[in-house]
Amino acid sequence: MIRYTAKRILSGIVTIWFITTATFLAMHAVPGDPLMNDKAVSEEIRRNLEARYGLDKPLSKQYVIFISNMLKGDFGISFTQQNRRVNDIIREHFPVSAILGILAVVIAALGGMLWGALTALYRNRLPDITIMFLVILGISVPGFVFAATGQLALVHLNAMVGTTVLPVAGWGTFTHMLMPALVLGLGTMALLTRLMRTSMIDVMGEDYIRTAHAKGLSAQRIFLRHQLRNAILPVVTVLGPQIAAITTGGFVVEYVFAIPGLGRYFVQAVQQLDYTVIMGTTVFYGAFLVLMVILVDILYGLIDPRVRLST
Amino acid sequence: MTTPILAVRNLAVEFDTFGGVVNAVRDVSFDLHAGQTLAIVGESGCGKSVTVQSLMGLIPTPPGRITKGSARFMDQDLVTTGAQGVRGVHMGMIFQDPMTSLNPTMRIGDQVAETLVVHKQYTRKQAQEAAVSLLARTHIPEPRRRAQQYPFEFSGGMLQRAMIAQALACEPAILIADEPTTALDVTIQAQILELMQSLQKENGMSIILITHDLAVVARMADQVAVMYAGEIVETGSVTDVFYHPAHPYNLGLQQAMPSNRHPDRVLEPIPGSPPDLFSPPTGCGYCARCPHAMTICDSHPPEMSPIDIASTHEARCWLHHELAPSENNPVRPSS
Amino acid sequence: MSEQSHKFTQLDFAPLDHREDHESIARPSLSYWQDAWRRLKQNTRAIISMYILIALALFTMAGPLLWQVDASRQDLNQTSQAPGFVRQALIVPAYKRWAAPVDQAIPKYGDLLPEELASAQGLTAAEPPNTQTVRLIWEPVPGAGGYSIYRNTRPPTSMQDLGLPLSSVDTGNKHGYEDRLNLKAEEYFYSVVATDGFDEAAVFSTLQLRPQLAITHKDALERDLSNNPQPGDEVSLAFHPLGTDYLGRDMLARLMEGARVSLFIGVLAPLAFVIFGVAYGGFAGYVGGSIDNILMRFADFVVALPFLLFMILFKIAFGIGPGESGIIPMLVALVLLSWPATARLVRGQVLQIREQGYIDAARLMGASNHYLIARHILPNTMGVVLVTLTFAVPMAIFTEAFLSFIGMGVAPPTPSWGSMCNAGVKTMLAHPHELILPAVLISITVLAFNLFGDGLTEALDARMRGRE
Repeated sequence: MIRYTAKRILSGIVTIWFITTATFLAMHAVPGDPLMNDKAVSEEIRRNLEARYGLDKPLSKQYVIFISNMLKGDFGISFTQQNRRVNDIIREHFPVSAILGILAVVIAALGGMLWGALTALYRNRLPDITIMFLVILGISVPGFVFAATGQLALVHLNAMVGTTVLPVAGWGTFTHMLMPALVLGLGTMALLTRLMRTSMIDVMGEDYIRTAHAKGLSAQRIFLRHQLRNAILPVVTVLGPQIAAITTGGFVVEYVFAIPGLGRYFVQAVQQLDYTVIMGTTVFYGAFLVLMVILVDILYGLIDPRVRLST
Repeated sequence: MTTPILAVRNLAVEFDTFGGVVNAVRDVSFDLHAGQTLAIVGESGCGKSVTVQSLMGLIPTPPGRITKGSARFMDQDLVTTGAQGVRGVHMGMIFQDPMTSLNPTMRIGDQVAETLVVHKQYTRKQAQEAAVSLLARTHIPEPRRRAQQYPFEFSGGMLQRAMIAQALACEPAILIADEPTTALDVTIQAQILELMQSLQKENGMSIILITHDLAVVARMADQVAVMYAGEIVETGSVTDVFYHPAHPYNLGLQQAMPSNRHPDRVLEPIPGSPPDLFSPPTGCGYCARCPHAMTICDSHPPEMSPIDIASTHEARCWLHHELAPSENNPVRPSS
Repeated sequence: MSEQSHKFTQLDFAPLDHREDHESIARPSLSYWQDAWRRLKQNTRAIISMYILIALALFTMAGPLLWQVDASRQDLNQTSQAPGFVRQALIVPAYKRWAAPVDQAIPKYGDLLPEELASAQGLTAAEPPNTQTVRLIWEPVPGAGGYSIYRNTRPPTSMQDLGLPLSSVDTGNKHGYEDRLNLKAEEYFYSVVATDGFDEAAVFSTLQLRPQLAITHKDALERDLSNNPQPGDEVSLAFHPLGTDYLGRDMLARLMEGARVSLFIGVLAPLAFVIFGVAYGGFAGYVGGSIDNILMRFADFVVALPFLLFMILFKIAFGIGPGESGIIPMLVALVLLSWPATARLVRGQVLQIREQGYIDAARLMGASNHYLIARHILPNTMGVVLVTLTFAVPMAIFTEAFLSFIGMGVAPPTPSWGSMCNAGVKTMLAHPHELILPAVLISITVLAFNLFGDGLTEALDARMRGRE
């Protein structure tokens, strides 16, 4: 397990380096000087930036400066907001995104496993057909449509009841989080439901389930002790990529629900071509996602003894 | 003879598939006596596994179902009452592939103990202790340490021992072994068979052994039932079935098997393949492959008929009919 | 048995001539693709999806020929129009100023407190209301120092529910109001509340009316709606079966043009990266050894890049250039980031196939590498590749929609379904059709591709063979 974990962490570090380098190269592939494109940059900031990023120096030198800044965890200064540090932006807005994301992942994972198990139990009967129809819809409808529909539903709900049942937009209390987290998790939930269903059905056909029946165990016991745990394994493996999907999906949800998260900030930066913020948040998000994938891998190792105990 | 511990009569099982209904088991009857071993032999797909799985209630329903017949065991009919109260307690079962037949994410000890916790209301601790001693009884070295391990840390032979320990936890009256040695190396096979025999001697259980390996049958069985195309075509004691084959299929099997006594004999394969069970033949199932087939074989199904009044030897073949020609009749004992 | 035996004769026991049929194969033999096609045809959902996809292709390609409306033409008389039939409009003369009536006999400033004021009586429209102007008059409220006028789209239930505050009249003797604020041919509820000049009374009176759709004489001429338009005539306005967007552009034409962009990216990008992936993975798998190792390690890194973030990054990196609509940069970015999945898959397949007996057999018979790849290896990976392709299309369409939605996609005025959704979200409360229509089209397309892909997977899955 220790070797397994160490290996994951090592490959994670290399991946983060690759992400950082790719970010650097992509930003330097921008035709012309990024600083020249935006006339709004004041002379003072420009000089500041030039000194900081060594834009007058050759590419290799710039790369060294960039990497060493990243290693120090220094993402630079925003282009569009005078002298605001990217680090401060991340520190201020990321927790909001993280809470929203975690809530969405929890909703998606629990929901997906629950619905998936349910559909497998009621295979080819009404609950299964209904849920699977919704799942197909969930997979086929883009996230922003969920976000918009969710908001629309809240508007109508509040109008119907007459008071604010759940706030339509904004951030602050748990009630603000509920609908955004739900719509953010829906796509992933649909995907996980489908996966869980397939996995449950696969496990049902396994020899050891037949053995469990032959041992005279009750259906409940077989379901809980033998089927569920083995069926969850493949679902856990896709959790890593799905966290990435939820993180980027957060951009849209934060934008629609006016949530002051890093995602909304990132979209804003993208629209304003705020290069330092884009670079900083990309590297930050990249590192965050790599970390999440490592965590999921370790979690998988804990659940599956074959991974945990093999050297 | 004494009353059998398990008496199966006219059992029939079908499956719904995309292509239609498959009559996997058609009219199977046999008796199993206390302390004895009954071997059911036959080629792949002849319905031998389905027969025992239907007794254990392991046929997935749908698509499978038992359409007729009865199976009397301990004053109840397993077909009508179901096997839920019996399996694991009075009937244990082991399977062909021990590698896939144990839960990969559960410790071996827990899997053996589980039966005791469920059926005998042992506490976790008692059950664990019992599991360790069961593993010891099946000759697993260092049982205490092994009980804490997972199936992927076991070899195939060791897993089959663990399977046996698990099946025997509640000291069942019948052990059903569905091709228990097919997936194992030859040396391991012998060890497992030996283990089964010694355990049978210890607690006097009956064994139903499913196999297609005639050598295993010769070694283990008291009674043999030969299955073909969903039916038992011949049954009797090992000696009867091996030395006095009364059905052309059994005869074919013997001729396809190497023998110590006639080392120079050329092995003769049985031509053709078993009939399509989507539409079972109207006559005898073996008719199309039988070198001795007669006109009647194609149109009328033969019934089980005793070969020798004194023994349990029976066969399902028109060649035993009084009107059948006696010259060149391979199954008539005297001619 | 013995009773039966009497029915049999010696003849029954004559030896049987063995017919030749005991080795016959009952079911016809089919090639891999024939079998897959047969299986696919049995899958109703996949077949329905296939028809939907054909319909979409027709909509995109043949649609603009049948519905020749300029997608960028703005019909300002019908902005944000909901889907419906041809609308009739009243031709009205050019707007002339209207002075609200003032009753000089009544003092300008009333002397009653707000709570003492009565509601306005006789609230009515001074002339037939139309969407050019709604003119309201009412009887002055004795003692009032002014009036507030509100407009709502549903019947007001309380003082808090009067709707949009249109204006305040600050003299008590001016008892009329003209509304020209963004009028639609919809049901309106106008409410008038008397005030003391500052604060409102506790009672209100409401008038329900529905303005008639109107178009000025000048506009009607300019838009060629009628040869000889006369005020008071009714003319048919330009027909927008699916309504218009917030700039009055025809939704149907825009959806068709948007489909072209969305499907262009959605089909071409997967095609490009799947071809690249097949070449890359096939090469790596076939060559094997350390080259394979290095190539696949690189692919692993590309997979690890957070997809949408780098889409945005690449889009920015490639996308800055004058007159660039953003389609090509998006295509390039999609290809750059998406090929590794296919490459991995194909490599795995090739490695597996390479070890198969029939490859050795072919090699023993002197087949060249070239022949082996073309004749044995590639055809055997085609099934997997086809399935990847079907599932890559929804992914690409989603990506385009996502990027366009956050404003990083296709540049306006070129419509794409995603950018139409982006515009639609802003007006979704008042005009949901602007969001719903493109969103539904995206969903149907993705749904059809997903279901078709599922069907294809099942049809091509070798494990399913012979199960029937």
